[in-house]
Amino acid sequence: MQADLNWLDDPEVFRVNQLPAHSDHYFYADSNEIGHQSSLVKSLNGNWRFRFSKSPQDRPENFYQPNFDSSTFDDIKVPGHIELAGYGQIQYINTWYPWEGKIFRRPAYTLNSDRIIPGTFSQAKDNTVGSYLKKFTLPESFQNKRVVVQFQGVETAFYVWLNGEFVGYAEDSFTPSEFNLTDKLVSGENILAVEVFKRSTASYLEDQDMFRFSGIFRDVNLLGLPEVHVEDLDLKPVVNDDFKSGKLDVSLELTGKDLSGATAELSIIDPNDDVITTKSMAAGETTTFDTIDFSKVDLWSPDTPTLYHIAVTIKGQNGQTLEVVPYQFGFRKVELRNDKVIYVNNKRLIINGVNRHEWSATRGRAITLDDMKADIKTMQANNINADRTCHYPDQIPWYYLCDQNGIYLMAENNLESHGTWQKMGTVEPSVNVPGDNPHWLKAVLDRARSNYHLFKNHVSIIFWSLGNESFAGSDIAEMNKYYKQHDQTRLTHYEGVFHKPELKDQISDVESRMYEQPENIEKYLQNDPKKPFLDCEYMHDMGNSIGGMNSYNDLIDKYPMYQGGFIWDFIDQALLVHDNISGRDVLRYGGDFDERHSDYEFSGDGLMFADRTEKPAMQEVKYYYGQHK
Amino acid sequence: MVNTNKQLHVIYGDGTLGLGGENFHYIFSYERGGMESMLVNGREWLYRTPKPVFWRATTDNDRGSGFSTKSAQWFAADMFSTCKKIVVTVDGKTFDQLPIAPFNNRFSNHEYAAEVSISYTYQTNTVPATEMTITYQVANDGEITVKAHFVGNDKLPDLPALGVQFLMPTQASSFNYTGLSGETYPDRKQGATKGNFTVKGLPVTPYLVPQECGMHMDSKQVTVTRDKTQNNADHLDQPFDLTFEKASQDFAFGCLPYTPEELENATHQEELPLAHRTVLTIYGAVRGVGGIDSWGTDVESKYHLKADKDIDFDFKIDPNVE
Repeated sequence: MQADLNWLDDPEVFRVNQLPAHSDHYFYADSNEIGHQSSLVKSLNGNWRFRFSKSPQDRPENFYQPNFDSSTFDDIKVPGHIELAGYGQIQYINTWYPWEGKIFRRPAYTLNSDRIIPGTFSQAKDNTVGSYLKKFTLPESFQNKRVVVQFQGVETAFYVWLNGEFVGYAEDSFTPSEFNLTDKLVSGENILAVEVFKRSTASYLEDQDMFRFSGIFRDVNLLGLPEVHVEDLDLKPVVNDDFKSGKLDVSLELTGKDLSGATAELSIIDPNDDVITTKSMAAGETTTFDTIDFSKVDLWSPDTPTLYHIAVTIKGQNGQTLEVVPYQFGFRKVELRNDKVIYVNNKRLIINGVNRHEWSATRGRAITLDDMKADIKTMQANNINADRTCHYPDQIPWYYLCDQNGIYLMAENNLESHGTWQKMGTVEPSVNVPGDNPHWLKAVLDRARSNYHLFKNHVSIIFWSLGNESFAGSDIAEMNKYYKQHDQTRLTHYEGVFHKPELKDQISDVESRMYEQPENIEKYLQNDPKKPFLDCEYMHDMGNSIGGMNSYNDLIDKYPMYQGGFIWDFIDQALLVHDNISGRDVLRYGGDFDERHSDYEFSGDGLMFADRTEKPAMQEVKYYYGQHK
Repeated sequence: MVNTNKQLHVIYGDGTLGLGGENFHYIFSYERGGMESMLVNGREWLYRTPKPVFWRATTDNDRGSGFSTKSAQWFAADMFSTCKKIVVTVDGKTFDQLPIAPFNNRFSNHEYAAEVSISYTYQTNTVPATEMTITYQVANDGEITVKAHFVGNDKLPDLPALGVQFLMPTQASSFNYTGLSGETYPDRKQGATKGNFTVKGLPVTPYLVPQECGMHMDSKQVTVTRDKTQNNADHLDQPFDLTFEKASQDFAFGCLPYTPEELENATHQEELPLAHRTVLTIYGAVRGVGGIDSWGTDVESKYHLKADKDIDFDFKIDPNVE
């Protein structure tokens, strides 16, 4: 198969040769490696060779061929944004598409057009291209293993080649993409080529209120899969109705040329580090263990983020260890009861939440583990008990940290199509996607599927959020259905159905609104409400703000169906830039890079400044969020 | 400590009224329409005459809700109000006219009084115009009680803030206050703790777009500490301070290196002018900051500052606090 540039214009082509989404477990050659670098993973982070092109037509088309002379290429650091490396203009824009006022575009298959619009992105002057090359030699420990390349985040669409042969194509910037490299590997030096396009039809689905970047901005790894490999780990811990006992279902998807003779063993380790159960069974493609009963479980909650551990060990027919997979899990029960109130562990849920973009003033969205740990600390210090991952899945470690530290997650899909339906404040959905459009359905369902499979084992997730500000139609209803079919242990959330009340019984377990005035919330709650109420965004913390939080806080005591909200938002989006005039390093916001259209200072609405220092208003948040812990 | 025999030395100047005591000397200007000099322990505390404050720098929420547009008259009033009337009262006797030449020829350099009061009435350039009067009551020990009286008018738009601004000649090194922790506003002060706080430097909260910041609600006292003067003959490098205290009610204050207009004019922190001075504003009333959204929803009505009724507030300046 050959790469085809026209895929950029076709919303129905969004993954070519990609491996299916699976759980986000780490895996090791043996148990001694746990907590250290796995010998089965080799990072490809670091310097890559790089060429920036202003448009697809300017790109070095043959750069992936092994004999291509890349001596004129530059070096670029991976992970990172192309724009922050000095190529391509930085742009911040909120609801409109970044090409507003520059290029007239309409999404494919809209406006009664039953076709793609050739050249929309594949021949576009604004579609910058990053051509990346990385040479690698397989480590000793990868010999005779299946080798997969894993891109944890690439914006917005990319093609991959190995040693001159086409490997695959992916979209969905905030979700890992994996490709099997095994049959294209050579001994000695291999050349991985990645061609990243800033825009594709996926851009319509990724119109988040943020700086618009491109490039390989999250980790890249080579994975050396053992003879038998745990492809997917599915843990279903259930709290029984007595809230004291529980049970656990464990199911594995195993891959390998020959599973015969292999066994899968598991041990369950309780919060005191005692092994309480071990089991073993023959390995099969799907290996499902008998339900494990727990006569007593310590429940997970923000106050007591108690975690159990499981270790899965795959052994070969001679009893040798092939792979070890550790995972953390917890017991908690989320219920939407007949009184139309959400309970967690038999207690009414109160969300003292924030919306959190991944952000660093120096690295953009390519944040580090230290940034994440600092954010957890800030949340805990200020009684913030919940995070909505606005408006895309975050880096994998964030979900582990939220499990460990007791932060509820509303795990949101990578979906926002704001510019297709909201025009200067008015609702005008004539070209809305995904809407009811069958040609856009597969792409958004794939996003739902990836988000689910990747993060399904995280106890901290209590809501799946279908996306943000994408209006509503049957496609989003299908996403909701997907989660309902696959997960009975969590609720779904989507705000945009507010605009399509007729879909309310198909979309979202909660009535969710943004920036609703307290008196209107009260009106809803007094008027025979059908669903519990959540503010998915409230208390817009732009500049000097967060006045009047008591009006929301009062609703908590008055109405059981009012279940709190997520402040917009956690951290200012601004970039540290050296200012030659003042001689200082200063924070710059939208419009400061000569980019137009921009939404200027709207990039900064955080409880923290972009350098992660707290704004003065934080003491108010800490106070009110401390009232209903 | 109280010396009941202590008297204010009153100097009936040709364009000013001077008031002297052991450790202070004040000059009230007729010409400049306000107090021109506040010398305490030999150090000057005024750069320009104190003035009424009708503005605070626009916040993002103000801009979004159109508040600054609706209330823009107060911005002009803050910049351009003029003093139209001055009244001097010495030991309870109010002069019919200002005691300037030739009326003051009857006085000597040995005039004394137990209490002197001087009031300045400022007229705003709003439509319709209104007035604010700032009265300085000086006691024999130099303690000044400042009383502000705002005349309300229901044809005027909501106020952003109402206060008295003291522009000090050099940048303060710190300030200490008794009140609420952090930056507080009428609708954002529940989370604050009460106590005594020292703030080093004159921090401007680094909001991306410079805007109103640094408000301290419900304060009982603020002491400004400086370690520099503009006086070429002053070679002492000891820090020195001046204390403002509550009179009949707690006050709000801001202590920044910038005026609201300086903050208003910058689009980034680095565009603010080099900080030279201290701007201490004592507020009698403050509008909330809001928080529902930043594109239209106003601050909740209970945190609005209506201009329709008279507003009175007061505070003291005490030169004798150790």
